[in-house]
Amino acid sequence: MTFNALLALIALPIAAGALVLALPGSGRRQQAWLTLLATLADLALAFTLFPKQMSYSLPWAGGFGFAFALRLYHFSAFIVLAVGGFAFLISLYCMAFMAGKHLNNQFYSYLLLTVGLVNGAVLADNLGLLLFFWEGTALTLFGMIIIGHRDAYKTAIKALVISGVTDLCMMFGICLAYHLSGTMMISQISLPLDTLGSVAFLFMAIGAVSKAGCMPFHSWIPDASLDAPLPFMAFLPASLEKLLGIYLLARIALDMFRFSETSWLSPFLMVLGALTILLAVAMALIQKDYKRLLSYHAISQVGYMILGIGTATPAGIVGGLFHMINHAMYKSCLFLTAGSVEKQTGTTDLTKLGGLAKRMPITLSCFVITAAAISGVPPLNGFFSKELVYDGALSRHWIFYFAALLGSFLTAASFLKLGHAVFFGKTNPEQDQVQEAPAAMLFPMVAIASLCVLFGVYNALPLRHLIQPILGSARMGGHNFSGAPHSTLLVSLTFLSLLGACLNHRWGVRRTGTGLGAVDHIHNAPVLFPIYEMAERRLFDPYDIAMKSVTSLCEVAFSLDRAIDWLYDVLVVKLTYAFTQRIRELHNGSYSTYIIWSLIGATVVVVVALNGIY
Amino acid sequence: MILLLPTFSLGFPLSAPTSLLVAIFVPILGSFFLLIAGCFSTRLRNLLALLMVVTPLAIALQMFPRALTGNIARVFVALPFGFNFSLVGDALACFMAITSCFIGSIIVLYSWGYISHYENQNEYYFMVVFFLGSMMGIVFSASLVYLFVFWEMTALASWRLIGFSRTRETVQKADKAFLVTVFGALVMLVGFILLFGQTGSFDLATIKSSLAGRPLSNTAVLLILCGIFAKSATLPLHTWLPDAGVAPSPVTALLHAAVLVMIGVYVYARLFVATFTVAGEWHTIVPIIAGASTLLSAGAALIDNDLKRIIAFSTVSQIAFIFLGLSVGSEIGIAGALLYILMHGMAKGGLFLCAGIVEQNTHTKDIRKLGGLIHTMPVTAIAFLLCAFSVMGLPPFGGFFGKFMVINGALAAGQYWIALTFVAGACLTLLYLLRIFAMVFLGKAKIPKEEQSPLMVFSVSTLAVLSLVSGVFISYIATPVQITVHQMLGGAQ
Repeated sequence: MTFNALLALIALPIAAGALVLALPGSGRRQQAWLTLLATLADLALAFTLFPKQMSYSLPWAGGFGFAFALRLYHFSAFIVLAVGGFAFLISLYCMAFMAGKHLNNQFYSYLLLTVGLVNGAVLADNLGLLLFFWEGTALTLFGMIIIGHRDAYKTAIKALVISGVTDLCMMFGICLAYHLSGTMMISQISLPLDTLGSVAFLFMAIGAVSKAGCMPFHSWIPDASLDAPLPFMAFLPASLEKLLGIYLLARIALDMFRFSETSWLSPFLMVLGALTILLAVAMALIQKDYKRLLSYHAISQVGYMILGIGTATPAGIVGGLFHMINHAMYKSCLFLTAGSVEKQTGTTDLTKLGGLAKRMPITLSCFVITAAAISGVPPLNGFFSKELVYDGALSRHWIFYFAALLGSFLTAASFLKLGHAVFFGKTNPEQDQVQEAPAAMLFPMVAIASLCVLFGVYNALPLRHLIQPILGSARMGGHNFSGAPHSTLLVSLTFLSLLGACLNHRWGVRRTGTGLGAVDHIHNAPVLFPIYEMAERRLFDPYDIAMKSVTSLCEVAFSLDRAIDWLYDVLVVKLTYAFTQRIRELHNGSYSTYIIWSLIGATVVVVVALNGIY
Repeated sequence: MILLLPTFSLGFPLSAPTSLLVAIFVPILGSFFLLIAGCFSTRLRNLLALLMVVTPLAIALQMFPRALTGNIARVFVALPFGFNFSLVGDALACFMAITSCFIGSIIVLYSWGYISHYENQNEYYFMVVFFLGSMMGIVFSASLVYLFVFWEMTALASWRLIGFSRTRETVQKADKAFLVTVFGALVMLVGFILLFGQTGSFDLATIKSSLAGRPLSNTAVLLILCGIFAKSATLPLHTWLPDAGVAPSPVTALLHAAVLVMIGVYVYARLFVATFTVAGEWHTIVPIIAGASTLLSAGAALIDNDLKRIIAFSTVSQIAFIFLGLSVGSEIGIAGALLYILMHGMAKGGLFLCAGIVEQNTHTKDIRKLGGLIHTMPVTAIAFLLCAFSVMGLPPFGGFFGKFMVINGALAAGQYWIALTFVAGACLTLLYLLRIFAMVFLGKAKIPKEEQSPLMVFSVSTLAVLSLVSGVFISYIATPVQITVHQMLGGAQ
């Protein structure tokens, strides 16, 4: 029966997703209920399977190393459980949020299909199978964005291009890993990071960090935050994609390749992580939209996870993985608070919001807890995972630690601004009658916020039971990271940065008189302002830059193709005419000429014949 | 011909050699009767045309399982001067016959709707069926002489089909296609003669045994490759293919996607993989040509604005993947190439047929003038998108496996840079297909027209659904393909 259970984790959501799509009528309740039941079943299954270790294999795709091989062990079971939890809570949230929305049957269907595909990618123990499910999620991503509104397709295509291209890079990495190791079974691969090994690692890591939303593969996320239905943001960019991307990064770093501090890939990942933290949080700081601001944080926080794993030290890796699950929780909850504000007020524009604290107290509490968690305020979960990442980063080089700490300062500053602008300050007169969100939306928010508190106060639960086993006792080297952080220096510096953020906010609010203007002094700073202006005009969007350069390269290819075509259409024709013209001139109708030609011809024949005889 | 079919359904299979002959000559000879049948009833003619394409399909389907077990059908008639007539129905031939006849039948079905607005329908069906029959001849030929004869018959048929509308422009393009492919074929013929000089035979089995593993002379390989590249539209002999987009859409689907361009690929597999060994450097030279071809044509596809030309450029680009798989000389690459012949044929056929629906209803092929058609042509739009996903190589669509295995094959042969080039080509595929999808089907509706013929919509939906189903149930396809590859390499000629 065990194999049925593993297959069911994939097949059940996919079958339910297909059924939802096939059910007649858009906007009916039965799709929502079916989704809720299917995700509940998936969660229950993931929960019962959680303590088990099992694997399953079927021949697949005609040999050549392909196999339909699944493997459940502590790491994949953990991710599958988390995926089940988020899927269930978000489909519960959608019961209220998506009710009556256009095309919501497609939304539910893609949600379920995504759950099935993500489960498949997480459980896959075969590189081909992993890629099969992994790339499949790009299609549901496309579908979920494109149903947003009539012009959302531009963002959907951007997202599909970015994930498609990076998935193709990952395909190259996977093919190379297969070639080097001679097997597609992930659990049998252990490659050294020599030249080719590093290339394989790099290309697979491109797929992984792009899925997680790292720079420079991030730029569809802020656009999607405005175009796609909101639960999508909480579901994919905030939680599932982070889980999936960082899961794979950890798998390739810990299992498939012998990744260590000595490889050039370690500083490479750390630089990537640090840059992502700083650039994305700098953009988040100046946003004037609830969802767009959160989406930049969803990018920035990935930097901590990649930085942590990139350190290749036990503290950093544990911190990165702990941050992965923490981030999935608080960021999806933050998006859900944005959703409840959007549902109740009809807008997420910060200039139109304000003073919602009294009207939406439960949303406010959830926001405060999760915003504190993302800013790294003790004793919440984000504090502990960040401290571990700091620990790992500092052990490599202080500059990485400094980048991470500066990122935390800016994170805290932008959340102070966000919370102030939405929940405090002056109330917009139009929003006098606003009420608290319905229970189906509040429950998921409260549940996730409570988990944030639990994972912080009692961090031994996630660390000892979920995360440290992933590294294994050999790699942990006797460390145990649960409980309070051991470095007083790091903790005091964290406190200092949080204090700095509060002072900065106070000063900014006094200067401008509004919560929204709390960071204007950074936005308008002499050097930063023109850069910000250019960034807001999308001059730095890596996607646009890449598309422009690809298009100009393609124009060269096009002209080359036209040139080749010219050879056939013009040159060959002209040459043929010139040649036939000469031949024609020889046929001038004069007998004497023809006789001379005939004599020459006859001589040649005779000479050749004589040569043949003698 | 109609009497033949009951014998299948009643479970009295024809003897193996007879069925080979039937598969080739029912369409070739039968096509002439279509001209007569058309004078009496268009319905009868249409039905007969479909039957004549389905006949070889049924035969190939019936023969394929037996061929996989090594039970190979042969026809051999001794004739003087080395012109022995010989046919062979091994797994590779059956696979190719199934692929081209299956897609061909769907295209004939689609034509019932599409071509009903045109004049000279009799000639159309005559040429299509004649063309598919000649294709069967190429597929089953085991002698270079008859391979060449059938090859030129397809050139003749495609010349008439491209110039079908008889305007000055289309006739010019048809002439161009004809001249380029025939030029290639004549060069190839010189190669065949050189080969005859080296081995003393045109018969593939005899050639194989007389070469006994020695590589073919490089001059002969080069000359034969000219013919193959001209027919399969590979750099630098590819420009006739986008130009041939002036033909009616089912014709472009037939020629560009499923059948004509696969002739060169098939002959490459038949000669250079299953029969001869070539010098080691060809395992690098052909992939390099293919790599240049994939990048150049993909780049051109991203710039061009004519819907059918873009899809045609895309064909040039995707054929390079097939050449890569066949030429690097690793088993997984060959399997990927064969899979991709099938998957690409279905998906690309679907794209051309969708383009046909768009063109027929809006009367334009310029993507800048189109837009928003998803609201008026939802089924066509979804079918186009599904087929595009398959060509992009995204799972769970069939094209994914083809591309993945081809890239694996290139790496297995140690061709790292070439594999990377093709990954770049695959990225461009993604870009230009999404570009045309967005410009034609999304955004503001500029020419809001609806789909007219249910039969045409049904045909494209079938291809789209099959692209998806073939990926999900890949095992049922990949396993026979793997056995086919073993047979090709194992010498069970």
